[in-house]
Amino acid sequence: MSELLEVKNLSVSFRTPQGEVEAVRDVSFSLHPGEVLAIVGESGCGKSVLCKSIMKLLPRSAWIKGGTILADGADITQYRQRDMERLRGRLFSMVFQDPLTALNPTMTIGAQIAEAVRVHQPRTEKAVVRRRVLELMDLVGISGGEDRCGRYPHDFSGGMRQRAVMAVALASSPKILFADEPTTALDVTVQAQILDLLREIQSRLGTATVLVTHDLGVVARAADRVAVMYAGKIVETGTAEDIFYDPRHPYTWGLLRSLPAWARDGEPLYTIPGMPPTLIHPPRGDAFACRNEYALAIDYQEAPPMFQISDSHFAATWLLDERAPKVRPPMGGEGRG
Amino acid sequence: MRQKSPFLYCGKKLLSFLLSVFLLSVAVFYAARLAPGDPLVSYYGDRAEKMTSQERAWAEARLGLDQPIYVQYARWLENAARGDFGISYKYKMDVAEVIAARLPNTLILGGISFVLIFTGALVLGALCVWNEGKWLDRFICKVGTVVSCIPEFWLSLVLILVFAVLLRWLPSSGAYTIGGGGVADRAAHLALPLAVAVAGHLWYYAYMIRNKLLEEVRADYVLLAKSKGLGSRAVLLRHCLRGVMPTYLSLMAISVPHILGGTYIIETVFSYPGIGTLSYESARYQDYNLLMLLCLLSGGLVIFCNILAQMINERIDPRMRSEEPPEVSDRE
Repeated sequence: MSELLEVKNLSVSFRTPQGEVEAVRDVSFSLHPGEVLAIVGESGCGKSVLCKSIMKLLPRSAWIKGGTILADGADITQYRQRDMERLRGRLFSMVFQDPLTALNPTMTIGAQIAEAVRVHQPRTEKAVVRRRVLELMDLVGISGGEDRCGRYPHDFSGGMRQRAVMAVALASSPKILFADEPTTALDVTVQAQILDLLREIQSRLGTATVLVTHDLGVVARAADRVAVMYAGKIVETGTAEDIFYDPRHPYTWGLLRSLPAWARDGEPLYTIPGMPPTLIHPPRGDAFACRNEYALAIDYQEAPPMFQISDSHFAATWLLDERAPKVRPPMGGEGRG
Repeated sequence: MRQKSPFLYCGKKLLSFLLSVFLLSVAVFYAARLAPGDPLVSYYGDRAEKMTSQERAWAEARLGLDQPIYVQYARWLENAARGDFGISYKYKMDVAEVIAARLPNTLILGGISFVLIFTGALVLGALCVWNEGKWLDRFICKVGTVVSCIPEFWLSLVLILVFAVLLRWLPSSGAYTIGGGGVADRAAHLALPLAVAVAGHLWYYAYMIRNKLLEEVRADYVLLAKSKGLGSRAVLLRHCLRGVMPTYLSLMAISVPHILGGTYIIETVFSYPGIGTLSYESARYQDYNLLMLLCLLSGGLVIFCNILAQMINERIDPRMRSEEPPEVSDRE
């Protein structure tokens, strides 16, 4: 199976007054056609930056330090904005975290979707565009499109706006959809609806989706494969099953243990001690070592390589080295819940 | 149902306009009469200084100036309501006629400079944002800061010195050559006053538009617009400019008094026969009736522009409409 998107050893940094922030460090992953890949991690671990750097939507203070991005067979690492404009919308598109600000407040919903429809086919007839707009609104579950396409974003609730954003993103039938925390800014009840919608659209259109989230519950509901990110690096990747039933990285253990579902009656909810490191001068060795109760001496010296556990499952922790002590995951049983 | 009846809406706006103009007229009427100076000098010229007190009393009674101010105002209002704004003390003519003779000159100067300032400001602002941080942006901002700090009267004098006295390319004063008066002649007379009016205001508005546009360019919706494949120019022109339009129009409205005030000064320096010079004279020589009508016209224009800008704002940015349509919700 050829990869739709292949990212190899990508590093992205920002210039700031305090120094260089290494937001993404040596990240490699791939995306197969039609799958949902979830990128999970705490706030500030670089997951958003990773997506935006692939679409080249980062501010000027950011630059790609190294690595390559192969999209649909082409190396787009050195693409300029003008080259990217041809790809955006058609090859990949993005849904943003905050639907309240992602839509232009001064244009009607219909006009913003129509613009997305027309952007790669500027000569489309008005009636055809309108039909497509209504079709898209129907696809994302905005009923009564005839009336609502003339409305402004401020007439819509948060969930409705996120649906409209999705209609915009899907207008040119992209092969890849980046969903950057699409449910974070929404009410819990609406979150589930939007996730179901994402999943439904993904299965109906076969759009490969990169779902960025900090919420493992979201992952369990929507993802085929999972990449766990910490301090700008991917520390574990595998199928959703691998990650939930056979996690190997201590950080993944920490994330899973922090889920309310794991809490025992009467005991306080588990939290991972400490704070993520700043990415201005990332620590030597494993960035998670100082918060890791299973840290080995070598973790402070040298960053662990990716160890392969199965065809699909990789984790970067020295615990998988054959010389390491055997550690049982801290979740009850074999990690099955 | 989007809005209450347009009839009611316009009625409300009209009412607030009339009320504002009324308050303005009261304020100007009182302020003019409380200011020191002798209106009789304006009417009788130097003779007024040699008058006996009896003659003075008679003259004041004739002009109605012996009454308490509120009685004078009531009489003025009564006449004004019938369209009679009195005569100019200085010109001994109906004030409307005096103004009508000068008004076109000011409208030409103010109108052209207004259009030039605002097209120029939009173009410069967009140019700066398009080249943000590059030399062109920095150059425009720096030149603008320097030029906008130069006082208009000083700039006028320097331009007169250079172009009228030294180079003899352009006339130094007036609106047209007496006797002549083709379009070219008019344009030559307008060039210097226009240059001063535009140079004085252009940069400030360009800078405001630049900053507002920079905010828009950093807004979240730009990311979505880009991610759907829109080019940077389309994002700037179709999305971001829309976002600054309310500010732009408010600026236009707010700028009317500034630009008008600016042209008044410029008219005075260039002895340009417009209502600027006329206002200056009428205030200086207590030509009450003339002053009243000039203030009402200028003030009315300013108030009208403000209300107009508000109405345009409401049309462009739907969030500013006072009547909110019901929210569309997920649950149905």
